[in-house]
Amino acid sequence: MQLNESTYETIFLLYIDNELSPKERLEVEAFIANNPSYASEMEALKGTVLSSDKIQYPFKENLKLQDWEEDLKATYATILKAYVEAIPGLSTSFKNSLKKETASEAIIVKSFGFNQQKFTYAAVAACLIIFFGYQQLTKSSVSNLSKSNSIATNLNKVLAPNISPITTTKSKGSSKNIVSNSSKQARVNSINPVTKTIQLATTKLQVSNSTKTQRSNLLQHESIAMVETTPNNSVLENQAAMKEIPRTYNNPITMNATQLAVSTANIDAKSTVDEKGLTTYEVIDTEDPNRTIYIANFEIDGNKFRGITRRVSAFLKRNKSDKEK
Amino acid sequence: MTDKAYNECVDNFADGVYRFIVKNIRHTEDAQDIVQSAFEKLWVNRAQVLPEKAKSYLFTVAYHQMIDHIRKSNKMPLSDEASIPHQPINQAQTELKELLMRAVNELNSTQKSLVLLKDYEGYSYQEIAEIMNLSESQVKVYLHRARIILKNKLSAYAPTAS
Repeated sequence: MQLNESTYETIFLLYIDNELSPKERLEVEAFIANNPSYASEMEALKGTVLSSDKIQYPFKENLKLQDWEEDLKATYATILKAYVEAIPGLSTSFKNSLKKETASEAIIVKSFGFNQQKFTYAAVAACLIIFFGYQQLTKSSVSNLSKSNSIATNLNKVLAPNISPITTTKSKGSSKNIVSNSSKQARVNSINPVTKTIQLATTKLQVSNSTKTQRSNLLQHESIAMVETTPNNSVLENQAAMKEIPRTYNNPITMNATQLAVSTANIDAKSTVDEKGLTTYEVIDTEDPNRTIYIANFEIDGNKFRGITRRVSAFLKRNKSDKEK
Repeated sequence: MTDKAYNECVDNFADGVYRFIVKNIRHTEDAQDIVQSAFEKLWVNRAQVLPEKAKSYLFTVAYHQMIDHIRKSNKMPLSDEASIPHQPINQAQTELKELLMRAVNELNSTQKSLVLLKDYEGYSYQEIAEIMNLSESQVKVYLHRARIILKNKLSAYAPTAS
């Protein structure tokens, strides 16, 4: 910084504007001290500097928006309270009653919203019960339908023996064989006790030993034969049921007991049975612990299924008791 | 900038901005409107303004609004050294401060703003240049020119007063 006659004014202006470093300021002060003629010039320039002037903005608080908001809230709350108190329907008791109702609704919604697991369990249990019941009904009806179908099939086969001979078993041969060779049929029945041949006739038929007579009788009269394949342990039950069937048939066939009787089955060959009464129902023993339950393709032991149902019911009861508490 | 920082800006800078504007336009109501507009703009843009830049932001906004106000109202004729009215100064106005303020008021708008920002607010040349959208060298030249004018005015008033 060179202070001389040509530069002093600029440096003095920088000095009064406080744009010089402390070192430069000292140099200026030293220059003035050494050259007193420049002191008046410095004082004149210092006289152009404005001194501080206390002027205050009168609406400073109005610029603070937060105060406005608080005042607005307070004013609004006062006005709102006055309006609420002025309306009878919005009294405090009425508002409290509304709050209670709202709370109870909220609890109900909450229970529905957060206890879906219970509903899932209940739905699964209901599906199992429905499927189990349907399975049982289907099983019974299928067995009965199979019996009825076999009866109907055999009836048709007996009614038209020449067209469609019974070929399921040897004992189910044509009526010709049955009549003409009773000893052979008896032997077949004794060999295969599972197969039971029931000769149903309500009309008495005189069966002679001659084959021709037998054929003519068969052509003139209808014969009904039912072949049923049943488990060994149900043969006697079916036979007992057969005896109780009402015997009213419009076209009875009388058969010789010595030729048609099945010795092992103890069937009364002369008895007449109504084919409508052949539908029997299997009695389900629900208390049998060894009973096997089929759900779809899964085989479930009765005891296990009972245990599952008991656990589900206990779980639901426990949840219910907890909810009540 | 938070609400709290904004309120601090109101407390710290409202007086300075108002003084700067009212000294320039010499009209209190208009100065108050300009200050309010400046703080309104700061409030609207408070998310983009840093607290340490709030002061210069306020002065910048206020200065430009003041320029717009002067151009619209033409209340402040741009005066140069030749247009300074030489009114007689009575004994009551012999105080240097009043003479100086009279001389300052006779400066043009740019020179006046430069002097006010420099003397009242203590801004540096660079800061004044940012506020007034000038270069630093322009600020230096214009301000020095204003000082010389003021010195000459004061020296001119002094013999008359004496």
